[in-house]
Amino acid sequence: LSQATARIGRPRRFAIDLPASLNLVGMLGKYLGLAALFPIPLALGYGEPVHPFLVAGLVTSGLGWALERATRASAGRVGVREGFLVVSLTWLLAAAFAAIPYLFEGGEQLSSPLDAYFEGMSGFTTTGASVVTDFDEINRSLGLWRQFTQWLGGMGIIVLAIAVLPRLRVGGRQLMESELPGPEIAALSERIRSTARKLWFLYVGLTAIQAAMLSTLWVVGIDDLMTPYEALAHAFATMPTGGFSTQPTSAAAFSAASQWILALFMALAGANFALMYRAFVQRRPQALARDEEFRLYVVLVAGAATAVTIMLWAYGIAEGEEAVRTATFQVVSIITTTGMASADFALWPSLLLLALFALMFVGGSAGSTGGSIKVVRHLLLGKVLRREVDQTLSPEVMMPVRLNGTPVDERTLRAIAAFILLYVGLWAVGAAVIAIESAIGGLELGTLDAMATSATTLGNVGPAFGVAGPYGSFAEYGEASKITMIGLMWTGRLEIIPVVVLLTRHYWRL
Amino acid sequence: VRVFLIGAGQVGTTVVEALHDDHEITVVDTEASRLQALTARFDVAVFEGDGTSRKDLAAAGAATADLVIACTSRDEVNLVAGMFARREAEKSTTVIRTSSTEWVDLWREGQLDVDFVVSSELETAYAISRILGVPAARQTDVFADGQVQLAEFDVDEDATPTVVGVPLRNAPIPEDSKVAAVIRGDETTLPGGDDDIRRGDRIVVIGSPGAIKAWSTLLWPAGGAVRDVVIYGAGRVGTAIARVLITQGISVRLIEAAREQARRAAEALPKARVFNATGIDPDFLERERIGHAQAGIFAMRDDAKNQYAASLARVHGIPFTVAIAHDAVSVSAFEQSGIDVSINPRAVTAEEIVRFAHDPRTQQVAMLEGNRYEVLDVTTRESSRYIGMAFRDMPVHGSLIGAIVRNGEAVFPHGDDVLQTGDRVIIFTEAANAPWVVEAL
Repeated sequence: LSQATARIGRPRRFAIDLPASLNLVGMLGKYLGLAALFPIPLALGYGEPVHPFLVAGLVTSGLGWALERATRASAGRVGVREGFLVVSLTWLLAAAFAAIPYLFEGGEQLSSPLDAYFEGMSGFTTTGASVVTDFDEINRSLGLWRQFTQWLGGMGIIVLAIAVLPRLRVGGRQLMESELPGPEIAALSERIRSTARKLWFLYVGLTAIQAAMLSTLWVVGIDDLMTPYEALAHAFATMPTGGFSTQPTSAAAFSAASQWILALFMALAGANFALMYRAFVQRRPQALARDEEFRLYVVLVAGAATAVTIMLWAYGIAEGEEAVRTATFQVVSIITTTGMASADFALWPSLLLLALFALMFVGGSAGSTGGSIKVVRHLLLGKVLRREVDQTLSPEVMMPVRLNGTPVDERTLRAIAAFILLYVGLWAVGAAVIAIESAIGGLELGTLDAMATSATTLGNVGPAFGVAGPYGSFAEYGEASKITMIGLMWTGRLEIIPVVVLLTRHYWRL
Repeated sequence: VRVFLIGAGQVGTTVVEALHDDHEITVVDTEASRLQALTARFDVAVFEGDGTSRKDLAAAGAATADLVIACTSRDEVNLVAGMFARREAEKSTTVIRTSSTEWVDLWREGQLDVDFVVSSELETAYAISRILGVPAARQTDVFADGQVQLAEFDVDEDATPTVVGVPLRNAPIPEDSKVAAVIRGDETTLPGGDDDIRRGDRIVVIGSPGAIKAWSTLLWPAGGAVRDVVIYGAGRVGTAIARVLITQGISVRLIEAAREQARRAAEALPKARVFNATGIDPDFLERERIGHAQAGIFAMRDDAKNQYAASLARVHGIPFTVAIAHDAVSVSAFEQSGIDVSINPRAVTAEEIVRFAHDPRTQQVAMLEGNRYEVLDVTTRESSRYIGMAFRDMPVHGSLIGAIVRNGEAVFPHGDDVLQTGDRVIIFTEAANAPWVVEAL
């Protein structure tokens, strides 16, 4: 009997390999710290302080290095289970990393750690919701850092790590899928690393083209405000569907031509990158026309823009080219979850607000940098509902749900239904917390404002209505609301499941 | 004709039965007992050996064969045997039996190194569509993304009298189409305006998809009456039938008891309505109004089930029933029980194979892509002397312009139309003329 006991050993309680997860988070943090070097040349050039970035980089890389060393001895392999924890923790850490420079140079408005963390999370998750009220206090290098964090987060930190880091010791695919937006990535090639590289290649390329186009407007004198600095800063906010601006009035500060370019690139950022890679890089443009999700995306954008144009005209808010441009810009910005604004839509009548609110739940395409529910999920849910109605009458009928002609797995369809329910549930809880706290704290907030604030943070859109409108700020919200919003941004960016999985008992315990 | 037959099963036996009087037949099979059964009934040479062994084929005398038929029940064996036999006897014609519709498609694309492929499933499906009065045009080719079609029709008793026996220039033939060839007896002609089509002919038509449909109604006026069909069984036969009927524009409901099978059929046939049900539950039959279907086709694996389901369907009001009898014995039992038509897939397959030996017309048409006739798809050059010439003035030379594709649109030219540079010309021609045609354009 004693021999059997010896063999069986002591009970093991944990299902998860914590050291392995922390080890990988440490390694990712170690390299992530290097990103702080980016604004340093600019800071030196403008004679602005360099220490905020040095400290951020050193602290992040140092802590990462220490974490990696401390866990090295007992770390096992990172599997599917560990992947969720790695992704979730990495994003919490990244937001903190982004926040460090704000504490030094952001002035009074960003001096509270909670506000700085809010701004950091909003940047990395490409939400674009800001607590900044006084843009003069943000110097140029810190401003660029604020824009740059969105750009890093847009295509995904881990996707970037897979693309550039040598020998990332993970299977990769699971990790990447829990970070990339959308229910499925159309794999561009069999190997996960080359897929990651292609996505980043396109991302960098489109950012560069946009910055060049915007700068050209400045060179030829069409837009005097769109300096190369502003061009880069706004390209960093467009391609990741971020939405931060260096200007207190967002894109309204720039010329009509600049706004059209911004709208165009926002629309591109909301399309599937794998599909665009096929269309633009591999020169198969018919790939776009054949894709059901892309077609629905185009129809939604065009339909919503037309409707909003008519409403703006009818309300007398704008007319002619201005009405078309204002409508298109706002619609594209919100559908793709970018969140830049070319007008203070917080002042619009409630019918228009309701339309914009509804658009917050649309989201970009699968495999885009946009957030929210995403077009493909709406598309598939619609098909599932149609089938359910049909099967009410004829339970025996077999109707495979197809996407681009290919039958979709039933498991995937269930996951989509579950995602949408979780999404709506989280949104409702968030709206309730925000509404309750503002009622207690005396912040004047309408019902639609509270609902939009929850939707805009969960969907990584950016501005809400009321005080947190496009020209406003999130500074006035209470602490509980801000913490809730940070949670919503984080959960929304990781598409809920990787975070919610961490809340289940069986994730941790056997 | 020397016939070399591989496979002495049910199909092989039927083929031998039909051919043994007029032809010299050698049968190869691995099982001596089957060969003995054959020699007891027919005067044929037999060889016990493996069709996939080149040595055995040589020893059996395949080198002298004119026609090689591989009709075992296994696709792979038939393909290998057909290919080896072709190496042995280079001038022979090879026919193989397959159950794979994919292979039939591959053969049409010229990817299989055999002359003809006969699929039991497809032949059964064609037979059923003929029975339902919507005969599927056989061997339809498409050009220019489906804008131009090539189809083959039998002209029989049902054909509308106005097109029969009337010179083509006066006959009310559908617009946007041309009769490319008339096959009468052993002769194939490219008809001019003075020629006519007669009952018993087989004709090849080039035209727009709409015109091909119009030809169907001209030649089979009763066709098109069937709109709604129920098929029991979504196995290979049932799926093939559904596919053929759907392309004829018939709405198809498929009933399959096995869930996985039903799922696969639903995925493969987006236009069919597939039910995962036994089809003998009265509630189901009533609720889905199965009895309202104009015809029921029973293509399940089990003959007894087909018979029972067909009887039940009649009770529920389906007026016309067709059942698959896998066992030849079932045919008479089916007919006793009131099933309107019963079909034995093996017999249908054997019939089709026999036609290759008997009927030179079949061969000629089936050889459209291979031997005597070709359909060319040529883009005109600037230097061609036919540019700017009206079609009525062009010489005939054993070829016929079926359609031209201009700026991506198919045009079916009339006598006054003029050929332009860059036109893609779909042209039906005798193979001997093909180089000349390509040169001239």
